Amino acid sequence: MSEFATLASPYSMLAASHGDVDLTDEAKTRSRALNQFLAGVELKAFKIAQMALRHEDDALDAVQDAMLQLARAYADRPAPEWKPLFYRILENRIRDMQRRRTVRGRVIAWLPFRGEEDEDEPDPISQAPSPEPQPVRRLELDEAVGALQKALEELPRRQQQAFMLRTLEGLDVAGTAAAMGCSEGSVKTHYFRAVQALRAQLGDFYV
Amino acid sequence: MSPVTSPLTDFERNARAVLEESVARIDARTRSRLNQARQLAVDSAGPRHRRWWRTFAFMPAGAVAAALVLAVLLWHRGPAGHESPLLEGRITGVEDMDLLADADGLDLVEGWDGPFYEWAADQPDPNAQSES
Repeated sequence: MSEFATLASPYSMLAASHGDVDLTDEAKTRSRALNQFLAGVELKAFKIAQMALRHEDDALDAVQDAMLQLARAYADRPAPEWKPLFYRILENRIRDMQRRRTVRGRVIAWLPFRGEEDEDEPDPISQAPSPEPQPVRRLELDEAVGALQKALEELPRRQQQAFMLRTLEGLDVAGTAAAMGCSEGSVKTHYFRAVQALRAQLGDFYV
Repeated sequence: MSPVTSPLTDFERNARAVLEESVARIDARTRSRLNQARQLAVDSAGPRHRRWWRTFAFMPAGAVAAALVLAVLLWHRGPAGHESPLLEGRITGVEDMDLLADADGLDLVEGWDGPFYEWAADQPDPNAQSES
């Protein structure tokens, strides 16, 4: 976070001479821009969080927290800064959740009696196979998605993060480094190793 | 060669296409929840926080005023060991308040016998002579 603290904030005086409730045109434009930005990243962010946490509800919580924090603390930043900021916040949330999960797992492992968690049970309706016949292309995509997802989940967290931010979100090296909180050299190394590992596992990938 | 800076390979392009396909398959319930979360976030960036920005906007003026007050106090303080008349007056005032609040102290002030205490203070210490 520290590198963002020194960035300029040309919008800090936004609507300073107006009332608290009445939004100025500039503030409305800003609000629309923020909404548009979040709408553009929310699905990919959810996928990245889901890949890291392997839990849908946790992934939703992480994305929601990241959205709220970005909106509350950084909405006045220039819009081009939002994406690396958002993914940096999301990464911190994912890390927090993973740590909490590790601690919780250790505590639960020591408990003599522990019941099954109902919320982790799969929904039988969503698990039921679709009665509609699927075309061959659809099956190929299903297999490709499943194989890539499985291979990505087995990657070390930093490699997975570099690959997802670069490949799915399309961040450049600098943006990925800002989002991951590391140097550009580290991003290149993580990404290179991720590609090597995925290629070794999946072979000549096809769609 | 770094795959990050060079053009995407076929493998990376295919991987991207597959990942985008997986994003496109996110179900309606999840999309709805993300939409609600977004609306909540956008609303939270509204007027309530602009009040904070306004507060911060006046911080430089407050800092300058505080620095001026500090400078005036230091200027009145003068060289080391000499209290300024302002500070002396303030301390005296505080002592007076203590005396007024303390009934015994008030009696002592009313029965003040200054010359006696001055004479007693000037007398040599008899214990000091016996020790030498």
